[in-house]
Amino acid sequence: MNIIVCMKQVIDLEQIRIKPNTREPVIEGLPLLFGDFEKCALEEAIRIKEVHGGKVTALAVGSPKLRDTIKEALAMGADEAIILIDPIFQDSDAMGSARVLARTIEKVGEYDLILLGDSSADEYSGEIPPRIAELLNLPQVGFVREIEVVADNDQMSEPKKIRVARDMEDSLEVIEVDLPAVIGVTSELNTPRLAPLSAILKASRKPMHEWRSDDIGVTAEEVGARASVVEMLSNLAPIQDRKGIIYQDVEEGVIEVIKALQQEGVLTQ
Amino acid sequence: MEFRLSAEQELFKRMVREFCEKNIEPRSREMDDKEEGIPDELIQGLADLGVFGIMIPEKYGGSAPEGEEMTYANIAIQELGRAEMSMALPVYTLLCLGWGFLITKYGTEQLKEEVLPRVAAGEYFVGIATTEPGGGSDIANIQTSGVHKDGKFTVNGEKVYISGVLESIKQREGGHITLIRTDPDAGHRGFTFIFIPAKLPGVSYSTFEDIGRMALSTGGLVYKDVEVPEYYLLGEVNRGFYLNMEGFNLARILVSSACVGMTEKALEISRDYVKQRVLFGRPLAKFEGISFEIADDHAKLEQIKLYLQYTAWAADTLYKEPDFITQRELSRMVSICKMTAPKLGAEITQRCMTHLGAFSYTKDCPLGRGLRGILSYVVGAEGGYHIQKLIIAREFIGDEAVPYR
Repeated sequence: MNIIVCMKQVIDLEQIRIKPNTREPVIEGLPLLFGDFEKCALEEAIRIKEVHGGKVTALAVGSPKLRDTIKEALAMGADEAIILIDPIFQDSDAMGSARVLARTIEKVGEYDLILLGDSSADEYSGEIPPRIAELLNLPQVGFVREIEVVADNDQMSEPKKIRVARDMEDSLEVIEVDLPAVIGVTSELNTPRLAPLSAILKASRKPMHEWRSDDIGVTAEEVGARASVVEMLSNLAPIQDRKGIIYQDVEEGVIEVIKALQQEGVLTQ
Repeated sequence: MEFRLSAEQELFKRMVREFCEKNIEPRSREMDDKEEGIPDELIQGLADLGVFGIMIPEKYGGSAPEGEEMTYANIAIQELGRAEMSMALPVYTLLCLGWGFLITKYGTEQLKEEVLPRVAAGEYFVGIATTEPGGGSDIANIQTSGVHKDGKFTVNGEKVYISGVLESIKQREGGHITLIRTDPDAGHRGFTFIFIPAKLPGVSYSTFEDIGRMALSTGGLVYKDVEVPEYYLLGEVNRGFYLNMEGFNLARILVSSACVGMTEKALEISRDYVKQRVLFGRPLAKFEGISFEIADDHAKLEQIKLYLQYTAWAADTLYKEPDFITQRELSRMVSICKMTAPKLGAEITQRCMTHLGAFSYTKDCPLGRGLRGILSYVVGAEGGYHIQKLIIAREFIGDEAVPYR
């Protein structure tokens, strides 16, 4: 089974500081890493490949720093990587990004499954999986936390279906999907592996292709800032409101505080 | 000139950090309290990541980044020092790495095949046994004897303050590269370096009660007519002194790495605390008495960290280009690291404790574990504080500064 995993490099969220007086996030100079969602997608692709064979291709759009970042995907177990670096891709909205990814996937041509994070850790729009599916005219399921390959009766042929569990918060919806399909995954899907040293050292020997806009036939009119129809008005940390509840009665206060701490999971019964 | 880590080195560092933060740091207090050694699953996890195979070629089950071994080892051991501040686990690991490298370089084929794959897999401990009741700093005075006859060495004597005694006999398996006297009349040219598995008949042990790094045992080893097969020899007979010095160069770099990692974490704990702790109506960080102290300590630590990276690189370069510098020149650089990192780290950690106040004197705070652990590397462990000065003086001033000549 040939699986394409779309991955996005995002700033290391753990290192973001918030300016206390303006609530603006300080993101300049932070390292770029793959987010947890895309690593879960890649992990699942590798696990499927380990059972059913085939090839895993990691695909990412981003800044030149991607030449380094992509090595993690290769070290984790992707067989091959395609990175797209071009100034005209910068400041794309979700439609622009989906267009770059869809054109690249079309150019790759051979695929049975496209896996990606349901949302990215930084912008969290959740738009990319359905938009790619629409552009490629493929079935799509989002919020997926379990994937099972449905084996054909004829064991020799390639699997043609997968069964996925979609997280509906209060329930799980199980869906069978014909391949090829686009699947957006959540971080409950698995725990991504850490790449061992031996794989890290071999990562740069795996094939890595670097493509620009010409290679996939997109123009500055279709992607990037010029094509973007979304404008960000504000990006601030939420105001942290203290509740400021005062209990006059000590007994009642203690009981309420314990209840609140239990609700927050700080205290267990 | 290239100061930054490569993409691969950065990635490896992040992988080790992720593993340590998730698995090791949460158990560091338990390890120190229980005094039952390092949990197997932590060693296994590090072995799976390739940490125990850094110095071991692929052929023997390792994953050595050839020509960059010490640079990678420095990265990994710093991360372990950050996560397990008592430094039991970092030291267990660095001994396997540093002294394992000596087996890689100078062991016989049979020894390498027997031991190295198990070291890389985390099943087997490799340590060093040089110090004796009569001295450790004064190596030329070593008494443990070995008679080389009929394809074996018969060893008699005693070693003390040896790390990893229980680990190599009871908890896991392992052995120590041991300095023995094979020619009583030849001074420092009469020493031989052999590997002695701790379970060989005739080896007995005792343990000491340390005040720090409680998850790693320290003890004594007694050898009574221990028959060590010839293939356990490292290098050549009567050349052990030089190999010991070479091994010290590697292990001292990595001891410094553990100290730098621990100290970096201590400063971060202090930094985070002074930002949120309010005193007299403002955060502690607003008091220059505190913030300037942290700034000074950060600056000093950054300097030794960079010099340590340079020294690790120099060691790597020396193995690639044997005429790059001499082992003695490397010793000078290594001793600057080993003299500075433990003592500076102990001083900084103590200052961090004063920033945190009484909380730092409880076991809930890791700084106390850090201070107890790092003192081990001030007073001794791969050469004490003053011995490093002696080496630096010998190499910089000359033989005029050497008391033993």
